Amino acid sequence: MSKTILNETELSALQAELDGVRDRIWARVGQQDADHIRKMVRRARGSAMTGRGLLMFGFDPFTWVAGVLALAHAKILENMEIGHNVLHGQYDWLNDESLNSQTYEWDIVCTSQHWRRTHNQDHHNHTNIVGVDDDYGYGLLRLTGSQKWTWKTLFQPIWYALLAIYFQWGVAIQDLKLGRWWKGRMSNQELAQRANPFMVKARAQLVKDYVLFPIIGFWNWPRIVVGNAAANLIRSLWTNAVIFCGHFTEHAQTYTKAEAANESRGGWYLRQIQGSSNLEGGRWFYLMTGHLSHQIEHHLFPDLPAPRYPEIAAEVRLICEKYGIHYNSAGFWRQYSSVLWRILKYAFPVERRRVTTTPQIA
Amino acid sequence: MPISSSPARKGWLRRVTRSRWLRPFNDAHAWESVLSGLNPMWSRRGFAARVIGIVDETEDTKSFLLRPSRRWPQHLAGQHVVVETEIEGRRLHRSFSISSAPSATGTIRITVKLHAESRVARWMHAQLAIGGIVRLSAPAGQFIAPEGANPLLLLSAGSGVTPIVAILQDQKRRNPDREIVLIHSCRRHSDWILKDEIRALAADWPALRVHVQFSSEGGRLDVTRLRLWAPQLAAMQAMVCGPTALVDLLHSPGAPAGLPQVVMTESYSGRVFPSASGGEQSHPVHFELTEHLFTARGDRSLLEQAELAGLKPAHGCRIGICKSCQCLKRSGSVLDLRTGKISSEPDELIQLCISAPRSALNLAL
Repeated sequence: MSKTILNETELSALQAELDGVRDRIWARVGQQDADHIRKMVRRARGSAMTGRGLLMFGFDPFTWVAGVLALAHAKILENMEIGHNVLHGQYDWLNDESLNSQTYEWDIVCTSQHWRRTHNQDHHNHTNIVGVDDDYGYGLLRLTGSQKWTWKTLFQPIWYALLAIYFQWGVAIQDLKLGRWWKGRMSNQELAQRANPFMVKARAQLVKDYVLFPIIGFWNWPRIVVGNAAANLIRSLWTNAVIFCGHFTEHAQTYTKAEAANESRGGWYLRQIQGSSNLEGGRWFYLMTGHLSHQIEHHLFPDLPAPRYPEIAAEVRLICEKYGIHYNSAGFWRQYSSVLWRILKYAFPVERRRVTTTPQIA
Repeated sequence: MPISSSPARKGWLRRVTRSRWLRPFNDAHAWESVLSGLNPMWSRRGFAARVIGIVDETEDTKSFLLRPSRRWPQHLAGQHVVVETEIEGRRLHRSFSISSAPSATGTIRITVKLHAESRVARWMHAQLAIGGIVRLSAPAGQFIAPEGANPLLLLSAGSGVTPIVAILQDQKRRNPDREIVLIHSCRRHSDWILKDEIRALAADWPALRVHVQFSSEGGRLDVTRLRLWAPQLAAMQAMVCGPTALVDLLHSPGAPAGLPQVVMTESYSGRVFPSASGGEQSHPVHFELTEHLFTARGDRSLLEQAELAGLKPAHGCRIGICKSCQCLKRSGSVLDLRTGKISSEPDELIQLCISAPRSALNLAL
């Protein structure tokens, strides 16, 4: 699947159509969206209480499994459908300080502050521009021919497995730029300073799952410790899979700095569409992905309340067809296996291309 | 967001409620949703208040009798309160003067004039019924009568009479011998808000004199008229509540000599009708927290122009997606450069990089 390139006239027409989609859907945003997000908050809290309760007071393997699943469900819902979307400012218009993008602190080791910078500001702006978008391979994986290959790249399936298991930690330290520190371009002092908010948050998260709740559980503490670790593992594997399906599927395109230089707003829209890929499933599946099942729509309108993405998907798809843009959408297993294949394929020195622009080390 | 959920606490209690180590047990938002879910009056975010009576005052003005939760700190006569309503999911705020003196029962009254541009007032008139619940801020404001026995001139226009009535009720109870002259101005007789109550107050209160000017008949108030109605004008202390023009009557640098000492004013500008055009006009922009003031044109983003003025507000993508430059607009109107929509309600969140001013602005920055 090759990348579609449009001229400026087509781009401004594309922009006008997508702006129209945005204005029409925003006109409908209101009570329903407020009710939805508050319902999700209640559901996540209820699920967390159920899960932790089962782990704390149960004594058999069945309640343990049920507890782990309920807790994992709560964490996923909180991170994906609530946290990620609230941090995008999708619900700022509610004027509710408990759901405000600048004050919300999500239930994960990554601080909201780091996330707003690396994700909202960098990734969503520079999506899939190799060398600029830090989320493209997370500085760890080679996913396209224009990224450098060394013999160490051969081990990337192992790095990927570790990243998937410890995904929340990977995301949390992304903004520390450990690579720069490793190469001696950042002093220990600067690193310590950068790491401080992360350390504070990580400590609180670890204490909650591995000290506070186990203590309250008395003799049940081993059940709780292992159960919490299991729930965290499920959350990491799932969120990692969903997020990798967003930009690293088989047909997700990459851009060079030169291609993205001076792009118009229409060009920005086009890059967002071609750099993203959707997952198909049911309503519950959409909720569990935090509506990142509609990564294309999300990247077009990152601050639109996420449950609205499925409503505009058909319209966006039609616009894409009209302009001959591939609308990258398929079921979860199909997309995820193409991601895994991509990680494996580019571990080997295939498609080595000289990069025309020097990659910027942000 | 003027109504916040964290009441000031002291000492160990504060440490427990804020401690990072006790999450999620001390999650204030979670407790708030449990409490207000059980009974909306138990909410700890601001002060819930139940509507216990509604009175039609004039064609476009209604009074709402409210009973705030027991935590409500009693107001002083003349103060105002921010009312929060939730309309179509959005929490909107508007400040209203309390039109009643503090009472033993804790009941307060706010008198709301219908303004076409205020969604809160429109909603209150159309939707708010007896038994309904609104949220209040703590009472605030300095529009309070000076203590002592000095004769008092109360000057009001239109809905500016509402805090004045609270002050009258209070003075009658605490200071009935004090000489008070109320001069009020409104368009016609039928627009006179709270007139029955003012008349009832004056009926058995010899120290109070009331004069009303109907501008549709006698024109606008001027200083000559004031002198006529309050001969010992220069010896009085004046409190003025009304449009800026009324305040200027006594307060502007060009005002003639022999006027009373103005101790308190509460002014509001007339209606603003922002329009999508008018981009070439310049407007003053005030960063309230950092106390910076600059002028900005209506055809370029606030971010760009703040930077030109040498300020460095937080920002990120500069294209309206990351919200790094988002801030609370306390008052004024801005145009969203992407959608062409106008935001003119107070206390709305705006992004500096995609907003252009359409009026004077106060931003919480």
